[in-house]
Amino acid sequence: MRFFVSALVSFLALANNVFAKSGTGDSVLVVIDPSLKKEDYSKFFGGLEERGYQLTFRGPRDAHPPVEQYGIPGFSHVILFTPETKSYASDITPQSLVGLLSENTNLLVTLSTKQTPLSSLSAEFSLIPPPPGTPLISHHPARSEPATVIPIPVSESPLLTPGTSPVWFSGVPHAFGNSPYLVPILRATSESFAADSLDDSGADALVDASEKAGEGLWAGSHLGLVTGFQTLKNSRVVFAGGVEMFSDEYANKALPDGTPSGNEKFVKDITAWAFRETLALRIDNTTHHRAGEEVPPETYTTNDQIVYTAHISAYDPKTSSWKPYSGITDMQLEFTMLDPHIRIALPPVAGEPGKYQVQFRAPDRHGVFKFVVDWRRKGYPLLQTSTTVPVVPPRHDQYPRFLSAAWPYYAGAISTSVGFFLFSALWLAGDVEGKKKKGLKTE
Amino acid sequence: MVPRIALHFTWLLLAVCVHAGSLLLQNPRFTITSSTAAQLRADTLSLTEKPEPLKLEPSDTLKLTFQITEKSEGKGVQPHQTFLRFYDSVSGEEGIQPVRVTPGGKAKFELNMARPPASLPPTTDHPLEVSLILGSFVHEPTTFDLFDLYVPSSYTPVPHPDEAKFHKLPLIHHTFRPEQKLPPKFVSAIFAALVLSPWLVLLGLWSKIGVRVPHLFSPRIIPFTVLLGAFEALLCWYWVDLKLGQVLLYGGILAIPTIFAGKTALAATGEWRTGKN
Repeated sequence: MRFFVSALVSFLALANNVFAKSGTGDSVLVVIDPSLKKEDYSKFFGGLEERGYQLTFRGPRDAHPPVEQYGIPGFSHVILFTPETKSYASDITPQSLVGLLSENTNLLVTLSTKQTPLSSLSAEFSLIPPPPGTPLISHHPARSEPATVIPIPVSESPLLTPGTSPVWFSGVPHAFGNSPYLVPILRATSESFAADSLDDSGADALVDASEKAGEGLWAGSHLGLVTGFQTLKNSRVVFAGGVEMFSDEYANKALPDGTPSGNEKFVKDITAWAFRETLALRIDNTTHHRAGEEVPPETYTTNDQIVYTAHISAYDPKTSSWKPYSGITDMQLEFTMLDPHIRIALPPVAGEPGKYQVQFRAPDRHGVFKFVVDWRRKGYPLLQTSTTVPVVPPRHDQYPRFLSAAWPYYAGAISTSVGFFLFSALWLAGDVEGKKKKGLKTE
Repeated sequence: MVPRIALHFTWLLLAVCVHAGSLLLQNPRFTITSSTAAQLRADTLSLTEKPEPLKLEPSDTLKLTFQITEKSEGKGVQPHQTFLRFYDSVSGEEGIQPVRVTPGGKAKFELNMARPPASLPPTTDHPLEVSLILGSFVHEPTTFDLFDLYVPSSYTPVPHPDEAKFHKLPLIHHTFRPEQKLPPKFVSAIFAALVLSPWLVLLGLWSKIGVRVPHLFSPRIIPFTVLLGAFEALLCWYWVDLKLGQVLLYGGILAIPTIFAGKTALAATGEWRTGKN
C-alpha cells in the first residue's frame, strides 16, 4: 500500500513535467502594472491558460511571489506587462532577469515611450531604444484611428503562421545592433516613423531632429517592433514595443478594410516561440564507430573509415512530446584538433526520421580530435555537441605487408632457410671416405 | 455580408469628405550637376511614368524641387511627413530622408555624393527606387514613385564575430599523403630471379657430379631431419601469422624432442665414422 502511494505521488510530481505544454514547463509569472487591468487582456491570458499554462499574477512592487529565490527560478516563464514602471521590488532587476535567462527561464518584455530599466535591458540585447517620448506614428494607410495606432502587415517568418492578417500596434520602435542572435519578428512599415509631434506644424522639428541626431531619422522598415533573442543557453526573450498589442481591444478591432485583425493569432505565435513550444530542437544522442562495426573503439587509427550518427528531435506542442525531426538540411560535422581538419555535411538519413549520419576517412595526423556539431540559425536553438576521441598512428603490424617490392628479400631469406635445412640433412645423410687413406699408409 | 461592406465603405467616404482633401505634387524637377558645377542632366518628373534611371558619380550632386498643394483649394501646404524613401528591392535595404518643406509647400532636396546623408542605405550596383511619402494629420496620405537612382557602392558594415556560424561554412577536405608508390612488379620479379639464380648453378653442378646420400632415410637420422623441417615450417608460419609469444611457445615445445633426436643423429654419424674404420 505504501509503495503504491509513494509511486502515485512521484508519478504526479513527474506528470507535471510530462504533460506540460512547453518543453520547459508551464508555470508563468505575469508581472502586471497596477494601472493595467487584467480583464483588458482576458483573451491573451485566457488563450495561455487554454494551452495549459498556469498563470500567477503580481504587481511590480510586490515582493511575493519572487521571480527567483536563492538563485533558483520560481517559474518557467515570466511575462513583464510593466511598460512604464520605473521602480520594482528588489527581486526584479536587469541583472536578475539576465540571471533568469541563464537558468533557462523565458521572458516576454514590453516597452514604452518612457525610459525604464527594461529599455536599458533591451540595449544589452543589441537593440537600440529610440529617444524617450517618441512613439511610432504613421499616416499610412488612411484610417479613423489616431496616427499612433498603426496596422502593420505581418511578413513571412518561420515563427509565425503564414497568412496572418495585419496586426494593430501602438508603442515604440527599436533599431537593431548587428548581433546574429536577434530574431526580428515584426518590423515597422516603410511609411512609419518615431516622432513626438501631434500636428502638422511638427514637420520642421522632424527635419531638425534628423539632421542633429547624426544617425538619421527613426523611420522606415529597418526599425523593429517585436524582436526575439535566442541566448546561448537556448532560453528566449521577446521584446515587444508596446503592451496594447496584447489587449482585447486590439484583438477585436477591425482593420481599415473591414477584415478582423491578426492580433490574437500573432500574439499566440510569439508566445509559443518565446516559451519554446515551436522551433524547439535538441540533440538526443550521438554515436561514432568504424565502418562495419557497431561499438565505438577505444582509439581510432589514422586513415580509418569513421561513421558518425546524431539523433535530433523537435518538440511537438500538440502531443507535448519530443518527436524525431529530419528537417535540418544544412548541418555540418567538424573533426577538429585545435582547428577543423575536416568539415563535411551531416545529412539526414532517408527512411529513418531524426537520424543524421555521415562516413569519412580519419586524417593522416594522429592526436586528440573532437567530433563537433555546432548548428546555429536565426530563430532556432543552438545545437552543439562535442565528443573527444584519440587517433593513434598504426601499430608496427598494421602497415601493409607482402609488398611486391620485397620479393627479392623474401626470395633471399627463404633461400637461406631452405639451404640450411638441405645442408644439415645432406651432411647427416652423407657418406664418409677419409679413413681408407690412413689404412693404406700403415701397411 | 454585402450590407456590412457597404456600411464600411460609406463610413470611409464620410471620412474622406471630412478630411480636407488629398495632396498634389506640383512641378517636380531634378537636376544633376557635377563637382565643377556643370549641369549633367535636368528634367521634369512625370508622375505617370518613371524617367530613365538617374546615375550619380562619387562627386555629383542631385537637386530635387517640388511643391505640395491641396487638391481642393490649390494652395501650398506643409504636411507633417515629407519623406524620400530610397529602397533597394534586391537586398531589401531602405533609407528614409525627411525633406524640409516651407509653410508655402515649396520643397528642395539636395543629395551630394561627396557628403552623403546618414539615411542613405548601404548600396550595391543595383538601383535604388526613390519614392516620396506624404503624410498629414489633416490630409489623406499619399505616396508618389519618382525615379530609379544608381549611386556608387558603399562599404559593407563589419559583421558580428558570430555571424559566420549562422550560415553554412565552407567544407574542408583533408589532403592525405599520397599512397606509397611501388616499383613495377616486373622489375621486382627480375631481381627475385637474380637472387634465386645460385640455386640453378648448384642444382646444375649437383646433377653433373651426383649426390650420394645413403643414410638419408635411416631411422636414427630421419626424426632430427623432420623436426628441423618442422622448425623451418614454424618460422614460416611466424612470418605469415603468428605473434612472438606464440612462436616462442611452440618453438620451446618443439625444441625438446629435437634435442633428443639431434643427440641420436650425431651419435649415429659418429659411430659410422669410427665404425667404418
